[in-house]
This record gives sequence, structure tokens and C-alpha cells, in this order.
Amino acid sequence: MKRKISSKAILLLIMLMLTTGVLSACGSKSSEKETNTPNQTNANSNQSNNNEAVSGDADPFGKYETPLTIRFTRDVDNDMQDNIIPKTPGETVEDNRWLKAFSEKLGINVVYDWTVSVGDAYTQKMNVTLTSGDLPDMLRVTPAQMKQLAEAEMIEDLTPYWEQYASDDLKELYAEQGAAVLNSASVNGKIMGIGKADVYGDGNYLWLRKDWLDKLGLEEPTSMQDVLKISEAFTTQDPDGNNMHDTYGLALTKDLYGGAMGLEGFFAGFHAYPNMWIDDGAGKLVWGSTLPEVKEALKALSDMYKAGQLDKEFGVKDGGKVAESIAAGKIGIDYGAQWNPMYPLISNYQNDPGANWVGYSLVSVDDKPALSPQKFQADSYWVVRKGFSNPEALIKMFNLHVELNWGESGDFDYYYMPAANDSVGVWKYSPVQPASAFKNIRAFQEIEMARKNNSFDKLTGEALAIYRNITSFENGDTSQWGWPKIYGAEGVYKHGVNYMENNLFMYEGFAGPPTETMAERKSTLEALEKETFVKIIMGAISIDDFDTFVENWYKVGGTDITNEVNEWYALTK
Amino acid sequence: MIELNIKKLKKELPLNLMILPGFIFIILFSYVPMAGIIIAFQRFIPAKKLFGDQQWVGFKNFKYVMDLPNFYNILWNTFFIASMKVILGLIVPIVIALLLNEMKHVLLKRGIQTAIYLPHFLSWVVLGGIFIDMLSPTDGLLNTFLNKLGMESIFFLGDNKWFPYTMIITDTWKEFGYGTIIYLAALTGVNPNLYEAAQLDGANRWKQTIHISLPGIQMVVALLMVLSLGNLLNAGFDQIFNMYSPMVYESGDILDTFVYRIGLLDAQFGVATAVGLFKSVIALVLVSSSYYFAYKFADYRIF
Repeated sequence: MKRKISSKAILLLIMLMLTTGVLSACGSKSSEKETNTPNQTNANSNQSNNNEAVSGDADPFGKYETPLTIRFTRDVDNDMQDNIIPKTPGETVEDNRWLKAFSEKLGINVVYDWTVSVGDAYTQKMNVTLTSGDLPDMLRVTPAQMKQLAEAEMIEDLTPYWEQYASDDLKELYAEQGAAVLNSASVNGKIMGIGKADVYGDGNYLWLRKDWLDKLGLEEPTSMQDVLKISEAFTTQDPDGNNMHDTYGLALTKDLYGGAMGLEGFFAGFHAYPNMWIDDGAGKLVWGSTLPEVKEALKALSDMYKAGQLDKEFGVKDGGKVAESIAAGKIGIDYGAQWNPMYPLISNYQNDPGANWVGYSLVSVDDKPALSPQKFQADSYWVVRKGFSNPEALIKMFNLHVELNWGESGDFDYYYMPAANDSVGVWKYSPVQPASAFKNIRAFQEIEMARKNNSFDKLTGEALAIYRNITSFENGDTSQWGWPKIYGAEGVYKHGVNYMENNLFMYEGFAGPPTETMAERKSTLEALEKETFVKIIMGAISIDDFDTFVENWYKVGGTDITNEVNEWYALTK
Repeated sequence: MIELNIKKLKKELPLNLMILPGFIFIILFSYVPMAGIIIAFQRFIPAKKLFGDQQWVGFKNFKYVMDLPNFYNILWNTFFIASMKVILGLIVPIVIALLLNEMKHVLLKRGIQTAIYLPHFLSWVVLGGIFIDMLSPTDGLLNTFLNKLGMESIFFLGDNKWFPYTMIITDTWKEFGYGTIIYLAALTGVNPNLYEAAQLDGANRWKQTIHISLPGIQMVVALLMVLSLGNLLNAGFDQIFNMYSPMVYESGDILDTFVYRIGLLDAQFGVATAVGLFKSVIALVLVSSSYYFAYKFADYRIF
């Protein structure tokens, strides 16, 4: 009898253990599927502002008499976490100079519903927020999310507010971005969201370890063939002199593309422009990844892999991991944007003061110049929740951001990159961050001018701040190593100016909202593309499987997307 | 008789109350969310809310998923990885539990028990990073060891031949301690008199294991088997998501990672829910039928 009871008790115990385990598993799964938090009323934001809030007719900088509370969400990147917040004592994401400026100058109190890290985490959290129905007042969303919100009539038409409230400076800034940034967000002629305005046209560059070149007695590259030779030498001739076969030529990550350690520039050397829509020359848009030039570039990459010039494990390494290899001095070639000296290259210099990275212009495989790929960059939009009392506040905040940084009454050295705080980018404290497309190149040109005329005392604003950083590097502040690499006399913008003057850019042809099939099939096609390319580079499948990939790409939805994209293209002409 | 029952009920009232939180938990987190199943049949726009004015599309989402060229590959990966995990997840803990049960040194036994149980509490985010470093073909611990033995490096996380097995083995390593404890508990319930009697009859350790220990825990084994069959399409999102890469999509992409990509990143909730529902229906069929067979052939019932 006793035995029976005890075994039963044990069985019961086990059942309990198991069922709780199983249940909690079910629970977490279903909550993922739908997070239907009770629909809070958005009363707080609706009540607090009455219609008389606007002082003066359509004043771009008009202050609200009764403070207006606006709910935002935001993402916090590594730069903010590791540099900006530690270097600005007393300031936090929720309380800082920018939020103070918004409240003092515009009467706008910014509150954040939530903050998360950048990238997928933000998109994902935003998707969950949209499902919950409890929208913040102003949201930064992806093109797909904006389309859904517009369809569901959940967001305000911003057309009248844009026209009435946008300051002249802001309008000029957007005009420079190209009409597409605003047009891409318009649904039936109404501006439903304000596209992200960011530094654009900076170009893609070839970054090389000049000290390795010198050591091995190699010339600076002028063609793709040179690059391949350099990559081979960097791998086989022991450039770091430790008598070990432990260096690679080219940096690449499992994502293949990116602003640092990306392959766009390498592909461009073969006149291949993957991962963007380009005009095929006959007035039709095609997906760059499917063109035969890409096959050539992939073949070169797979040869490099076979020869041990690429990290065998690149397929599992993200940017962070590859940056570690660069920091450890294992890699000598990096394709990426002008800011690469700031990240990840400076970490190499910090470990080895001999590491001398220099930026070069993209090189080409033949006598046709390689064009710097410019993907359409408005990958996010600002929208305003339907029913929010003061949609114009968004535009006013944009105005103020531009004014305080670059305007006449502005203070670049306080709001953008204050020298007092080691020149960290405090502008990131602002929830909205419109930036001028060519501001960096322009600053470079101003500094160049000053160098020529020896008129450094005439520099102002951003150019002055940058010039100060260059000087402080020359005076021994090694943390400013990146600035002369970019803005110095031999800085990479030397080539950037050349890109701009000779129009050596390949602009993405498609700048519309995501089409129907695109929204459905994007992730599938992306997965297909990445898987195929990575496998071809690693030699897991033959280069001729590229043709199968192109066929499949069209079959799985590419045909429909191409048609939709071209419908849009025909309309914009 | 009825009177007796009421009396009994009164006596057991505290016990019944104790189960109440569990019930509320199930209803709140397992039954209420079931309403979300409707998303599978809609062209779901999150902003319009769950019961808003969504467009009904019938089985279009299901058809869409089945038409995807790699769907059957993903289904197979899921099934293969999950079923291997289920099988190893049954065998390994039983064997370890039987071995530990034979151990006389109490402190050592307890020590081992705790040590093998520990990984269960670590999250895959942490373990993923550790395994990526440990299994690295260039400077990973394991491959350095293989090289010392004169073998070629194996790219465990980047080779389609090895990836699924790496997943299965690391998962078993992480979880077998948990199962072992259950079986050890069951083994303590076996009547010691039986062993004594067997010894008198001249049965050795091995015979005792076969004829007493194993039959003694067969109920628990059956129970765990029935319940684990419901997991035949759960290949373990946390684990694979933290260790896979485009290189091993072919052998490592499973339903859950697929749902993650289309559901949470692309916001196609309709399709993602359809896949989830598909999984649940199959799990339901598997659990019910295995329960039925366990009852029919082993005369085993849970309730």
C-alpha cells in the first residue's frame, strides 16, 4: 500500500512539473502571436492641448502656450549607449539638452512609450505596438508599416501641415534629398509620412591598410586586378610579420551588404549593383542581384575564398564579429562608407598604432569607371497617429532640429557634436534627426578652402568642429584618429568630391512604397539570395547555380515585383 | 454516497483551491489567445486591431505557405531535428538515470545530478555565443582538439551535413539533466523488496535493471513519450535562431525561424499564424493518437 501511494505521489509530481512546463511554453508562444493589450485611451495627449495651442498663424517655430505632451518611441544604438550617454554626465535618453530645447522653445514635452535597441528589435516592437492598437502619437515606421497604417486609415494626412509649417531651411534640406523622399510616402497624392532625411551621396570607398602595402612594396590600386593582387599578397605574404599564416584579404560578413565591411563596392568594381533596383539602360528597372555582372563578381569572390583570402567562417559572422578581426589586425581590405575610420577601423589603430587605413576611390575591372552604389535611403518614415490634436508639432520639431544645428540661431557646438563632450554625436538625443544630404562633403570643401587660403579662423559650425578634431589629433589626441582620415588633406572625401563632380554614382531607381508582392515575398527572396550567394562564395555550390537562382528568383515572386516596380517607374517619368 | 462525496469535497476544498491559479493561468494564457487563430484566415493589418475590419481570405494564407518553394524543405528540417531530439531526449536521460541509480556514493551522485541539470537554466542566447566560439573551425576548442588528433577541422555550424546533428546533440546536452531527474524520481518509487527478492533468486545487476527498474518506470516513460510527441514539430526556436546563418538555411531553417522572419520582421501576421495553426493541429493529432495507442496497447491512461 505504502509503495503505491508514494509512486502515485511521484507520478503526480511529475505531471505537475511537466504540465507547467508545457503550459508555460504554450503561453509564451500564443502571446507572441497576438499581444492584445487593452485599448488604453489616449486621453492624456488629447486633453492636454486645446485648439488655441498654436500661437500665431502657421509659425514654423510657434511655441505652444499650454505645454503639449507627445508620446514617441525610440531606439538606442551602441554609439549612444557606449559613447554619448557616458560622455554627457547628467543626461539620459529621457532627459537631455534636446528634449529641454523642445520643451523650452516649442512647449513640447517628449515622452517615450518604450525604448529598445536598434534594428530588428525596433521593427519587431513596433509591429507589436501596431497590433496592440495603442499607438504613440508620433511613430517612426518602416515603409511596409506605413503602408499598412495608411490603408487602415490610422495616420494623419500631413500634406497641409508640411506646406504650412515646414521652414524654408527644412524645405531646402528635403529638396536636396531628391523629390523621391517625400513622394515615396505619398498615397493618392497625400503625404502620409515624412521620409528620413539623411546624409546621402557620401559614396562607397575602398579602405586599405597602407602600412601593409608599403611593407610589401605594393602600389596603390588603380584597378580591380590590383585589388585582387593586394588581397592575395595580404593573405600569403605575412603582412603583419608574425610568421604566421593568419591574415585575410577582404572583410565580409554574413549579411554581405552594409555600410562597413560590405561588398557593394567590390561588386561595383565589376559593374554589378546587387541589392538595389537599377535601370537596365532601356528604361526598365531590374533587381541588380540578378544581372550577369554579379556572377562575375561572385566568381572572383569564390576564387578568393578557395585561396584562403576570405575568412572561412564569414558565413556565421555578423558585423560585430568581423570588426573584432579587423581590430585584431587580421584584415587589410574593407569596402564601406566614409565613416569607416570611426567604426570599425579605429579599433585596429587603438590596438596597433602602426595600422594606417587609407580610403581610396572605387576601382573597376576595365576602363569604365566603377560607380558608387547609392541605395535609396529613406528606409523609414515619420507618421502621426490619426486623431492626434497637433500633427504640425512633428514638422515644428523637424524645423527646430535643423535650426539648432545648422540655422542662424543655432549652436552646432552644443547641439550636434560639442567639443566639450569629446565631440560625441549628441544630436542623437533628438527623437527626429533630419540631416542635409551633402552636409559632410560641404564641410570638407569648406575645410579644403581654408587649407588652401590658410583661413581657418573663418570656419564655422560643423566645419569648425571637424577642424578642431583634426587639430586635436595632430596634437596627440589619438581618439580623434578618424577625422583626418575622412576630412584631412588626404582624407577620403578627396575622392568623394570627385564622385560628386563627375557624377560617379549609381542611384537606386526605385523609390516608392513597397509594392504588394514585395511586402509578401521580400524576406523569402532575401533569404534565397543570401543563401545562394554565400554558398557560391564558399564553393558549396557551383557558380553556374547563379543562373538557377535567377530563374528561381523570378519564379518565387520576382516577376510580379518587377512588374509592379516598373508600373511605379512608368508613372514617375 | 452523495453525502460522503460532499463531505469529501469539503475536506479537499483547500486542495481544489490550490489548483485554481493553474486553471486561471491556462485560461488566460492558453485559451483566451486562441481567439487569435482567426488571423490565419485574414489578410491581417495589425493597425486595424484584432477584431477590427479585417479582410477575410479563407485558406489563402495556407496555400501561400504551401506554395513557397522551400516550405517542404523547412518542414522536413523541423521534423528531422525535432524527432531526433525527442528520441535522444528519451534514451539519454533513461540511461543516465539508470546508471546514477546504481551509484552508491551519495555525494558524488548528487553532484553529478546537479552538474548535468545546470545547463537547463542557461539561455540559448548565452550558449549560442559559447558554442559559436567553441565549435569554430579555425580556433575553436573542439576543432583544435580534432587537429591535434590529426583530423580535419569540421565547420559544425556552417556545414549542412553537420548542422542538424550539432543542434540535436547540443540540445540533448542542455536538457538531459532535466529528464534524468524525473526518471531518478521514478526509480526511487520502485519497491526495494523486489531487488532483494531478485538478488535471492540470483539475478545480477543487469538482470535487475531489465526486469525490475525498467518495468518500474515504464509508466513514466510512456507518459513522457506521449507528451513529447506533441513536440514533433518544435525543433527549438531559441537554439537554432542563435546559431544558424544563411549558409545552413538548407538544413537548419525550421518552421519557427521561418515564422519569425515572415511574421515579426515582415509583419505578415496572417501567414505566420497560419503556419502556427498548422503546427498546432499536427501536434494535436500526434498527441491524441499516441495517447490512444498507449491506452490500447499498454493500457495506459493519464486521466
